[in-house]
Amino acid sequence: MASIIDFTDICKTFKVPLRTKGKFSMFKNFFIRKYKTIEALKNITFKVNEGDIVGYIGPNGAGKSTTIKIMSGILTPTSGNCVINGYVPWKNRREFVKNIGVVFGQRSQLWWDVPIMDSFELLRDIYKIPKDEFDKTLKLLNDALNLETLLNRPLRQLSLGQKMKCELAGSLLHHPKILFLDEPTIGLDAITKLAVRDFIKFINKKWKTTIILTTHDMNDIEALTNKIILIGKGQILYQGSFEKIKENYASSKTITVEFAKDYDNIALDGYEITNHEKRFATLKNLPSKQFHPKEFINEISKNYEIIDFQVTSLSVDEILAKLYKQYEIIER
Amino acid sequence: MLYNKFLKMHIKTSMQYRFNTLFIGITQVLVNIGEVLGVWILFSQFTSVKGYGFYECLLMMGIVFTVFSFAECFARGYDEFHMLIKSGEFDRMLIRPVNIHYQILGSKIELTKLARMALGIALVIIALVNLNIDWSFLKILVLISSFICGITTITGLFIISATISIFTIEQFEFVNIFTNGAKETAYYPINIYAKWMTKIFTYVIPVACFNYLPLSYLLEIGNVPMWLCAISPLIGIVFIVPCIIIFNLCLKKYKSTGT
Repeated sequence: MASIIDFTDICKTFKVPLRTKGKFSMFKNFFIRKYKTIEALKNITFKVNEGDIVGYIGPNGAGKSTTIKIMSGILTPTSGNCVINGYVPWKNRREFVKNIGVVFGQRSQLWWDVPIMDSFELLRDIYKIPKDEFDKTLKLLNDALNLETLLNRPLRQLSLGQKMKCELAGSLLHHPKILFLDEPTIGLDAITKLAVRDFIKFINKKWKTTIILTTHDMNDIEALTNKIILIGKGQILYQGSFEKIKENYASSKTITVEFAKDYDNIALDGYEITNHEKRFATLKNLPSKQFHPKEFINEISKNYEIIDFQVTSLSVDEILAKLYKQYEIIER
Repeated sequence: MLYNKFLKMHIKTSMQYRFNTLFIGITQVLVNIGEVLGVWILFSQFTSVKGYGFYECLLMMGIVFTVFSFAECFARGYDEFHMLIKSGEFDRMLIRPVNIHYQILGSKIELTKLARMALGIALVIIALVNLNIDWSFLKILVLISSFICGITTITGLFIISATISIFTIEQFEFVNIFTNGAKETAYYPINIYAKWMTKIFTYVIPVACFNYLPLSYLLEIGNVPMWLCAISPLIGIVFIVPCIIIFNLCLKKYKSTGT
């Protein structure tokens, strides 16, 4: 399949003024500024195929937003090549942006005080969308997102979830080929979250829209994406399917055990005791130890009398936290 | 046209806060009337300042009010450019297939300033009725071009301020010295000030080009050659060109802000 986004060796450095401490430092800083260069992105290379939903994940400050801004033509990279949909985003800006839609989860593109429909009509004029095409698209978005009752209300009267639905619709009115979603489900309730996810899937199927999404919600990643790119400290650490990462961690289990009586000390070969309080204990299998229920019961019953136990696998959030730790990309 | 749509949105927004809009408009006019009274009181003590009487000064003030409020109404986007950057609205503009200047102009239209503009025009009319001007076609042309010159000069200053906020993100108060300073300076004939100030406000920031110099031509007073006075508004009209060019060049260095 043809790749629609082609990122090669993209680097981005920022110059940040360095503040010195000491007497009259404020004065000095005003006149003489020393700068420190921060490498926001280091040799970022990836490809995205047409129709893919790609999850772009990483801790805060990893460079996600910078990448999105480069991809949407807002920022110019320091070095490297990038071809998206046949264009170099920061050259020929006006032609390029006709085919992209961007939703910044925490910033609105709609007007605060006027009915949503007016904002949509302004967008129609901005993108020069023909009337009949606009009506058709609006009807489609309307049916999928249930916007009917929202369109004649101003943005300030809408709830966060309703706002996000309108934002999504607004960024798709011009039928873009690529959609960038920066934290689309942030702060939404469970029902709206599901609705937004369903909608993203729907649009991807219906229009074959390529979608790049950044999120901290791992359920978004599981439900939507067929590829993830993990970024930390400005570098790509992993790209591929999320399933593969999950498989790597599938063997680590957490076992909560309830004993028949209080034990002073608990020890079990191949297991680490992470918590022990009276009759309850939490155990984790060491990486070298494969967990088997039958074997576990046999071994623990040798020395202790147990009533009940419960086995849980790592949640996706825990997997990600482990991953971040493994790559040491969390700043401490 | 797209600009009409922008304008319509701004009208709708201010209609949401009708009382507020009206109130701001009225207070601004009252403040300006206060300034006019100040000049009037001054002239009740001295009959003329370097050959300029009350109505001559009224004409200058009228022009200043008109062009300033026009620029503050329609070129507000440049004046408050730091807000556009901080709110992320500017990032938005960069992903729209429309010329960036067109979008900046459309992003903020402050309709309350129209009240002040009406006051300015009223002052100009009152002054012109009371002054004895020997009208000719060229004089009308000079008067009109001095208005255009004023609007482009002020807008140019706003663009310079916007250019600086591309780098600083914050508004650079230093530029306000020139915008607001220029405004207050322009109430009186420029030749009452020190030589260096006269020079700055003629050659660096061409404030004199939209009131003192063209009015000298209109009223046939002052010691600057008449032909120079007549063509002076052209300088202000040209002033905006380098401002736009520098803005466009600096835009390439734009850094954006966090999420």
